[in-house]
Parts: sequence; structure tokens; C-alpha cells
Amino acid sequence: MVELRGSHGQARDHLLTGLFGTYELHTLDVYRRHGGYETLARALRELEPEQIQAEVKASGLRGRGGAGFPTGTKWSFIPKDIPGPRYVVVNFDEAEPGTSKDRYLVENSPHLLLEGIGIACRAIGSHQAWIYIRGEYDGPYGMLRAAIAELRQAGILGDRPFDCEYALDIQLYRGHGAYICGEETALLESLEGKRAQPRSRPPFPAVKGAWGRPTLINNVETLATLPWILRHGGEAYAQFGTEKSKGTRMLSVSGNVQKPGVYEVELGTSFRTVIMELAGGPPEGREVKVFWPGGSSAPVLTGSMLDTSTDLDELARIGSMGGSGGVIVMDDSHCIVKAASRLLQFYAHESCGKCTPCRVGSNWAVRTFDRIQAGRASAVDMQILDRIQASLQGGRCLCGLGDSAGWVIDSTVKHFRVEYEAHCLRRLCPTGECEFARVEATAVA
Amino acid sequence: MPDQEAKETRQSPQPASTAQAAAPGDRSPDRRTQPEPAAPPPAPELVSISIDGQEISVAKGTLLVEAARRLGIEIPVFCYHHKLDPVGACRLCLCEISPGPPKPQTACTTPVAPGMKVQTNTQLAVSARADILEYELVNHPLDCPVCDKGGECPLQDYTFRHGYPTSRIDAPRLHFQKPIPLSPRIALDRERCVLCYRCTRYYDEIAWEQELTTDQRGAHAFITSQFGEPLHSVFSGNIIDLCPVGALTSRVWRFESRPWDMNHTFSVCSRCSVGCNVTLWERRNQLVRVTSHENDAIDDGWICDRGRFEYTEVNAPERLRQPQLGGQPATWEAALQAVAEGLKGRRLGISLRRDVTNEELYLLSRLLAGPLKEARVAMEGRTYLPPPQGETLRIEELDTCKAIVVLGADTEKETPIVNLRIKKAVKKLGAKLLLINAAHLDLDRWPDSVHIRPGEAGLAAAARQLIGHELLQSGPVGIVHGQGPDETASADLVAAAQELAGSCGAKVMPLYQATNERGALVTGVVGRPDDLVGCDAVLCFGPPAVPLPASARFVVAWDTVLRPAHGRPDVTLPALSFAETQGSYTSLEGRVQFLRPPLEGRQPLRESWDLLCDLGVRLGLAELNRFAGIFQIQRAAAATFPDLATLANPPAPEAPPRPVLLGASRP
Amino acid sequence: MTDTVRQGAGALSEQALAEIRALPARFPEIRSAVMPALDLAQEELGYLTPAAMAQVAGALDLDPGYVEGVATFYTLFHLQPVGRHHFYVCTNLSCALRGAHDISSHLLAQTGVSRFGEVSQDGLFSVEEVECLGACEYAPMLRYQHAYQYDLTPAKIDALVQAARREGAQPAAVAPPPSGTVPVPMVGPSEQGTPAPPQVARPRRRRSAGTRQEKSHG
Ligand SMILES: Cc1cc2nc3c(=O)[nH]c(=O)nc-3n(C[C@H](O)[C@H](O)[C@H](O)COP(=O)(O)O)c2cc1C
Ligand code: SF4
Ligand code: FES
Repeated sequence: MVELRGSHGQARDHLLTGLFGTYELHTLDVYRRHGGYETLARALRELEPEQIQAEVKASGLRGRGGAGFPTGTKWSFIPKDIPGPRYVVVNFDEAEPGTSKDRYLVENSPHLLLEGIGIACRAIGSHQAWIYIRGEYDGPYGMLRAAIAELRQAGILGDRPFDCEYALDIQLYRGHGAYICGEETALLESLEGKRAQPRSRPPFPAVKGAWGRPTLINNVETLATLPWILRHGGEAYAQFGTEKSKGTRMLSVSGNVQKPGVYEVELGTSFRTVIMELAGGPPEGREVKVFWPGGSSAPVLTGSMLDTSTDLDELARIGSMGGSGGVIVMDDSHCIVKAASRLLQFYAHESCGKCTPCRVGSNWAVRTFDRIQAGRASAVDMQILDRIQASLQGGRCLCGLGDSAGWVIDSTVKHFRVEYEAHCLRRLCPTGECEFARVEATAVA
Repeated sequence: MPDQEAKETRQSPQPASTAQAAAPGDRSPDRRTQPEPAAPPPAPELVSISIDGQEISVAKGTLLVEAARRLGIEIPVFCYHHKLDPVGACRLCLCEISPGPPKPQTACTTPVAPGMKVQTNTQLAVSARADILEYELVNHPLDCPVCDKGGECPLQDYTFRHGYPTSRIDAPRLHFQKPIPLSPRIALDRERCVLCYRCTRYYDEIAWEQELTTDQRGAHAFITSQFGEPLHSVFSGNIIDLCPVGALTSRVWRFESRPWDMNHTFSVCSRCSVGCNVTLWERRNQLVRVTSHENDAIDDGWICDRGRFEYTEVNAPERLRQPQLGGQPATWEAALQAVAEGLKGRRLGISLRRDVTNEELYLLSRLLAGPLKEARVAMEGRTYLPPPQGETLRIEELDTCKAIVVLGADTEKETPIVNLRIKKAVKKLGAKLLLINAAHLDLDRWPDSVHIRPGEAGLAAAARQLIGHELLQSGPVGIVHGQGPDETASADLVAAAQELAGSCGAKVMPLYQATNERGALVTGVVGRPDDLVGCDAVLCFGPPAVPLPASARFVVAWDTVLRPAHGRPDVTLPALSFAETQGSYTSLEGRVQFLRPPLEGRQPLRESWDLLCDLGVRLGLAELNRFAGIFQIQRAAAATFPDLATLANPPAPEAPPRPVLLGASRP
Repeated sequence: MTDTVRQGAGALSEQALAEIRALPARFPEIRSAVMPALDLAQEELGYLTPAAMAQVAGALDLDPGYVEGVATFYTLFHLQPVGRHHFYVCTNLSCALRGAHDISSHLLAQTGVSRFGEVSQDGLFSVEEVECLGACEYAPMLRYQHAYQYDLTPAKIDALVQAARREGAQPAAVAPPPSGTVPVPMVGPSEQGTPAPPQVARPRRRRSAGTRQEKSHG
């Protein structure tokens, strides 16, 4: 038995996770006993696509995958007049470091996602959805497979769900280990059986997506929110959250906290509440040195900024972003250079290699970090890092991965220049985490 | 394969539709049944934009890089190539565009829009490009002094014009094993590669093959042939022209000369009947390189490997330089006299090289009408196809076809570039593809092709069954046909193609194969008995088209080199190669194109028209004496054969391209 | 089947090929079937040989080069043999902050693998360093035999490795006997003179719904 770490059970802001923990919630029976699939039935029987879109627009829901784009607006980009098939593609690639909310959601309630998918299909006139699930998620894969089989059995997936003339089908497609598949156009390439390299836009997936057809791509959590919105109305959802960031979102808190877990919070809750209260704060005797508010791609915030709100615009205003909702907390016993270096390794490893700045820049950065950590760096290396970060971000890369790599360098240097300088100029690691510093310190002593 | 049924319907009058409709319903509805709405004929709608303050109006849909080029503003590009779909991968073409998001954007993927203002020389754009160039050099080996690309290398030129003036790179470089033979003719240097993916995209998009691919990802990605096996495609050489750096080089030309050491002329390929335009590169009177010379009406910028690599014989040390009589050196005078005497009164057979010129054919037609009336004529590599009947489909018209029928032809082997043109028409322009052939073809790579396997009744019958097929009803149809399995079947095949064409208003393209086969047919030189059976004298102009008959007692070998198939000829005449010959070819579509020989046929070599006239006079055809030069022959040929009318007005040789564009500012 | 692999041919069984040929029907375009097909191939062979990739290509009517390009892009496809027990250890930030480095070193030491990506001498083990596996609240963690192992401690690693060694001693076709009844072997099969490449005997992957254990934390 693995212990459930995060939100579950009744609470005002547990819109998604309220039922989590219910015995056998992952089965269709139990899910339906708690009102599951009622909204989908209503969406198919009573609601026109326009009405669903209007509810979602009214809810103010913004994508939970990373970019925070208003979901209703995104749906409206799907052209109505192109004949032929169109697809809903579910982004369940979740590979952003520090992010585990989609896994948590599906493991607890696969049907919540599937119901949301059905609603999205109805809203854009699609009959076929594809769930792109990362290959390592064996557990969620099995659960979704079982859940889809149950739905087929029950006729909810098939030619006439709930006796409506609206065929629905959901297919699973497994990824095979590539973070870039989370990027929507790379995901489509991968779904088409190609090397997952992002496409240049336009054309946007809404017009020319999977197999050249109009395609809607949404994150798991975004879609799983739909049943609640349709059941209670967009207005009710918009009661939660802040002015521009409506509703609740799931934050997976990890790293140096006492109670890591996936917590559903109302948007606008401060990170202090999330990290210090829900997640129990850093280990005894430690301080929060730095945290990533939205996955490793979000520029870092320091421990002094704990009072920042989870509001997406507030985060953007102070130079970070809500991102994927993965909150990584690091305490003051750890070295920022080492952490940044580890993340750069990640971005270099996951760079698809299509566009030049990301391919070359991230690799160059890794080699520069290696030199810094080996105690062979000088002021030049800080200049190189600065140059690399400048040419990675600002939309110069084909997709957001390059920007993310740039932000890691940029934000950590910005907040911890002193620590970087200690490494580069004085060959000292203030936390003593980097090997060379230990060696040199002993030598000096 | 799921659509095996769809592709392999046997002799069904409506193969595609029936099989498609019967496809199992479990599959999600897919694009196959939904053709993209066909692009209407391009209306010349103009869009005005400004680039760096200069106004320009260009056709709607034009990409910014092209518009800028027209203004003489260079936006550097690596991944962009005008024949490939834009991908925006290298990020070298970043510009500032307003209105638009507040970030630099790729000019290679952005089409013009009314009122667009583009700036290529702002601080942001200039440094963005310089940064990319710096990145391209981070791992580059900088072995420019020994690089074949040096001198015509965009990486060098762009860095010179757009890059940082000083190097800021002090890190060790990534290394790859190098150079790697991709095939006996192509070498790959992965350290020089900038991963613009032009080569793999070309392979995938244009040639429809994936034997060249990218392995791994990120900084460790590299170009490779599948499992390291040699490339086999007949279109592989184009990747050398495409590569913007010295990563893909020709092993045939490798370390041969610096590009600026060569002279070049724009000529026509002599390998087959398509008539692709080529650039021939000369150095010290040797032909050292052949590259494509883009002509959108014919080759669309591509040539096949035969044209690109099969030129080395021109420089062969064993080239014949001197006439020989019975194996002994002789004067031209003595040799030609011996030929004239040897031919007289004998049952003569003539074997022609595939790339015989129109001018030579004209003179031959005069000889065949006079002293050599009884001769049989064979031609190297020709088909059984009869002379063209009426107007034939032109290669560029393939682009406008809504459906293309390929009947009894393996275009990949027979007329390679026509194969690529069909692929373009199908993949990029949305034509439907119907194949009638017993064999599996290269064109079968198109998943939506309708492949009809002829039954017992043969190709012609299968073609006739297509009459009324629904795919042929929606617009211009092109019928491309080969020669069929044998001479009798060939006549029927041609008739069937004509009938099918008549039924749907299609045009027909008979695929002649020998370089100037069509010229030989319209001049009436070939078309008579196609063999040398029973001949006791044989004049071999070029390699023997068929094995020399045992009855031959007098053999003349008139060729660039002596070949085993020539046996031991009585007279040997040295011939000029295509790189030295003046003249013209008639391509399979009937286009007359002129050769621009880059090499001089140095003494004692003589022009073939000169020799034919001389021989004619010796055979009693005195009027051939009045031709003092090739222009007169061309005019005479134009007057005699309407199909060769162009010969009277040879176009002026093409001017060399404009030198490099002026660059945008340096950082 | 096993015999062909032993001979190093790395060829796929007819049954696998039949399954692969049926795949494209599920997708609007053939190419989409490449990854599921490679999955089947890897399940059968343990890793992807050029021969297997070529066979997959043949079955799907694609060029082998295409399949190779795809297979080398994704990290879950193994192009080299892996140990019969293959561990994917996450060392990304969330896990690193909670001791992933020590955990992975311990795992390497216990399995006798000298570094990531290598196969242990006895062919039993290999360890792969991977990026975030999306279970950060249970860091440090690893993926093993299609399941996640959470909250790793050296003791947990020891238990895992020991269980794996016990299983490793058994011929693949036979179900492992209840634990505790078989002594832990001191040497792997190859050292005992049975030349069994490590990848041979991996049980075919079960794709059924998650087991109780996988589901239970949800
Ligand atoms: C490099 C990169 C990785 C991404 N990874 C993910 C991911 O793992 N999961 C996800 O839902 N979105 C991811 N995204 C965001 C998607 O591109 C896309 O914005 C999202 O799936 C849209 O869904 P939403 O509107 O519901 O947020 C990623 C974006 C980038 C640039
Ligand atoms: S930013 Fe990186 S991952 Fe994105 S396209 Fe460029 S190389 Fe690929
Ligand atoms: S030329 Fe525009 S991105 Fe490469």
C-alpha cells in the first residue's frame, strides 16, 4: 500500500480531489455512484457545443499544462467549417521535473479524466480522442486501459453513448521517454509516429494538428476540471481563484519539505501556505532557500518571496510563471549551482536537436557548468553562461524548452550571483556540496 | 499494411472507391477520404510589405526570405531551401516583424501579410543571427583550409557577413568520427554538420525515402544512413548540393580542386532523355564536377546520380586520341577513307550512342537517305516506342494534373527525374496517383496510390479498363507510359494510352529513354529494323547498342574509349564526349536544348559533324561539303524537321548568376 | 524464438510480426504504428537489434532508416542489451534533493554494475539514470519491472536486488517459487557456462490493468 500524499476528501477548494481516497473510485461503478458521467450524459443529450464552450469561457479556466492559456479561447480556434475528422488529444506526458499532479489525478480517478475528455469532444465536435501518456506511467496506463474497457462495455464509448447519436472513442498512445513530447506540436509528431521535434507555427494544431486535422490539445488536469464546471456552471467555478486566475489547481510539492504531495489549492493561495503549511515546510532547522513555483521551467523564486501568490499573472509579473504546478523546494543546505547544473543536464538531454540555440546552447551550458563544478572556472564562464541564457530565451528557440533552459540560468544567476561568483572566482562552494570545494577547503586547512 | 486491399485491386474498373468503401469501420475516419481542397490556379494577388524601410509588392504566400532576396537584402538561412517545406529549425533568419508577438521571428516560415513591417537590422535581429552563427561554430572543426566546400560555403560567407568579428569560443568541441562514407560516392563529416536537416528532409519529402535519417537527439543527434549501410537511392547525390556546409561532399570530386579554380558552364545532362540542366565544372580541360542547374520546367533543381557521378570517363587516360587502322595509328585521312571504302557495297548496320546530337542525326538522316539507304540502325538504350503522336504532355504540366496514370513504366529507373516530378505533383500538389504495373514500384511508397496489377490480358487491357474511372474525371489528367514488355505489346500499349487519354481529355507522355531518342525518331534515323542482324559492316558510334553480329566483317569503332564490346575493330575513330561536343538534344518531352561544352576537344580530335560531312563526301554525297560549321547544320536541320525548329535560334548562353547579395549589418 | 536470439540474429517471431502488421489499422496513418511496433519487438527481444528494426520496417512497409531514426530518439527503446533486471533511477532535482545520488550509488554497488548504462558481469542487472519520472512526492524513486518503487532507502534497494537475484536464478519459463525457498546464487548463468544473453528470458510484458499494488496508492 502506498500512502496517498496530497489533497483528498471534502474541502471547500477540493473541486477535483474531493472524492479522492474513496474506496475503488477508479472503477466505473463507484465513480458513477458518486454522480460520475452525469455531466457527460447531459452534455451529449441536452447541451449544444456552443453552450459547453460558453460555460468554459465563463469559468475563466486556464490551461494547466504550462502556458496557462484560456481554455475557452483555445477551443474557439478550432475551425467549425473544415469537414472530416478532428481530434482531441490529451497531453498526459507530464515530464516536467517536479510535476506529478496528472499522475496523481489519474491514479485516483481515471474516470474523471475520461469524462472530461468526452465533454471536450462534444464541445468541439470531435468523435475521437487520443490520450498521449508517457511511457513510464505503467500504473496510470493500466488504469486508463481498464477504465476505457469499462466504458466500452457500458456503451459510454461507442456509437451511441447515453442513447445519443454521437459516437465517442478514446484511444491510448504511449510515449517512449522524451520530455519534449509534452510540447504540443512535438507530441503530435510523436503521435504520428515520428521523431518528436516541435513544428513551426503557424499552422497551429487547432487548424492543422494530428494527421493534418484540426486538433485540440489539453492537459489532463484542464480536462478533468470540465465535469465540475459543467455540473456547477462556469460562474460557480469563477467564484474560486483571483481576478484573472480562476478556480483551483493541483500543485505537486516536492524536494526539501516534510510532507511532499499533490495539493489542490484555490488559485491565489500564497506559496507560504502551500509550502509551509500544506507541505509542512523544510526539514527541522532548515530554511527555504529557493523554490521553483511551476516546475523546473519556471524561473526560481527565493525563500524571501514565499508570500507570492499562486495567481498566474502575479507570478508572471514578478518574472516567473505558474507553469506545470510542480513546486520544487530547496533548503539552504543545497548548492544552487549544483541544482542549476542538474537541470541544465536535463534540458540538454531532452533537447530534441531541431533548433540550433537549444541544441548547442544547452550542451555548451552543461559543459560550462561542469567546468564550474570542477573548480576550473573563471569570470569568463559567468560571461559564457550569460551569453547562453540570453540567446536561449526570448522566443529565439523553436519551442519553449530552450526558453526554460535559459530561464534556469538567468533566474538562478540573478538571485544567487554571489554564490556563482564564489564558485567561479574563488572556487568555493558556500554550502560545501560541490566536490572541489571540499577538496580545496581541506587543502587550505 | 492496412490498405493493401486498396492498392492491390486486380483489374477492377473502380479500384480505389470500392476497396475504400469496404474498409473496416473500426478505423477512425481519416484523411484519405477527404482530399485537401485543391489549390485554385494561382491568382496573382499582390501584397505590399516593407523590409528595412523598402517597400515591395510580392505575390501572396511569398515567404519573407524570398521577398527580402528580391530587394537585395540577405537574410541568412540554413534550414530554409526554396524547394523544401520551411521548418524554422536553424533560427538563423530571425527578424523583427510588426505587427506580431514581441520576439524575433523566423523569416523563412513567415509569409508576407499586408502592411507587414520587417526589420532585419535592429540590434535584436542582428545579434540573434550572430548568436546562431556563433553556435554553429561552437563545435565546428574549422578545417576550412582542407574543406571541399570552402569558397562556396554559406557558413563561411554568413559568418563573414553576419557573424561576430571575433571568436568567443574557448570550450573544447564535440567530436564525431569522420569522415564517414555514406556510399561509394558521398562522404559525411558529422563535425561540420549544422543539422539543418535539409538532406533528410529532401530524402523524405522529395525522394520519399528514409534511408538517410537522423539518429539520437539534442547535441548528440547526427545524420546517418540506415544502420550505416551505403545509400542506394538514385537521387542520393542531391544532398551534396543541398548541404550548406562541407558535411556532405562528393567522394568522386573530393580534394579535386578549390571551387574558385574551376570554370563552369550550364549545359544539359547526357545520361537520359529527361534533359535535366546541369552545371559542368572544368579545370585544366578536365571535367571535374557535375552539379544541378535548376530549371523548374524540367528538373525542379534535382539531378539523379547517373548525371552527377557518371562523368569520369571524360577524363579517362585511355581516351582515344588518334585514329587507328587495324590497331595502328593512322591519319584521319587514311582512316576515313578506309571507313568509306569498308562501308561501300556492304550490308551496313549503324549503332548509335544514346546521346547522339540532333545535328549528328540530321547528317545521318542525309546519309541514310542517300548512300547508306539500306542500313539498319540500332540505338543504345532506346525503347520500342514509336515517334510521338500529336502533342505530348510536358514535364512541367505534371504539376497541374489532378490525376497521373503511370502505365507500364518504372520511372525511377527509366527516367529518374520524371519520377521525382510525379512525386512532387502527388505529394505537394495533391494529384491522385494510379499505377498500372505488374511489379512493385518506387511510387508505391505513396500510401494512397492505386496500384492496378494487369492480369493475363496485359497492360493495355488494364489501361482500357480505366476508361471512365472516377479518379480521372476531376480535371487535367496526365498519362505517363513506358514501352511495355516487348515490341508488339508496345504498339498496343501506346494505342491504349491514347484511347484512355481520349476518354478523359488527358495528355500523354511517352517515356523515351535514350538521351536523344526522340530526336532520332523525329529525324527518322531510327525506327527502321532495330538490330544489326545479318550486317557485314558495322559503324559503331558509341558503345555497341547490341552485341556485334557474328556476320560483321568490317567494324568501325567511333567512340571516346575502346570497349571490350567493340571487339577488334578494323578502324578506330576517336570521338568527342558530351563535355566537348557542340550540339543539341531533343528531350522526351520534345524540348530542344543546347549543349555548352566546357572542355575543348583538342587536336587531333575532330567534331563529329565534321567527320560525318567528310565521310558523306567520301561516300559520294558532295553537298555535305558546304557545311562550314555547326550553325549551318542547325539551320538546315531546323528547316527540314519542324520539331527541330528551335535549332535555328540557339539562345544565348546563360549569364553567370549574380554575385552574393549585400549583407545586412554586422553585430 | 529463444534460439534465434541466442544465435544473435535478433529476429522477431512470426507471432510478433503478425501483431505488428495488425497495428496500422488502429491509426489514420501507418507511421503512427512504429512505436507500438517497436514496443512489441523490444518486449520480445529485450532490446532493438538492427535486424528487428528492419523487420518492423518491413512489416509496416517503411524504410528501416525511418524506424532507426525513431528508435534512437526515444530513451525507452534500448539499442544495446540491458540486464535482465533493468532499473530506471530518477536523479532529477526533486529526487536529487532527497538523496537520489546516494541511492543510485548504492544500487550500482549492490548490483555490481560499474556505471549507468552498463550490464553487470552476470548479465542480471543494468541501471539507467533517467530524468523525472513524475512521482516527485515519493522521492527518491525508481522504476523497475513496469512499476514504481517509492521512498527508497538503502534497505529497500537491498531487498529489491536480493529478490531480483533470486528470480534471476530461475529459468525464465518457470514461475519463480515462493521467495525464501531458493538460495541466492553466487554467480549468474553465464558464469555457470550456460551462454544465455541477459535479454533472452524477460517475461512478456503484461498490459492488463494495473495490479493491486500499483493501484492502491490511488
Ligand atoms: C518543453 C515543453 C514541455 C511541455 N510539457 C508538458 C507536459 O508534460 N504536460 C502538459 O500538459 N503540457 C506540457 N507543455 C505545454 C503544452 O505545450 C501545451 O501548452 C499544453 O498541453 C496545453 O494544454 P492546456 O491548455 O490544457 O494547458 C509543455 C510545453 C513545452 C514547451
Ligand atoms: S527549443 Fe529545443 S526542444 Fe524545442 S525545438 Fe528547439 S531544439 Fe527542439
Ligand atoms: S532558415 Fe529560417 S529557421 Fe532556418
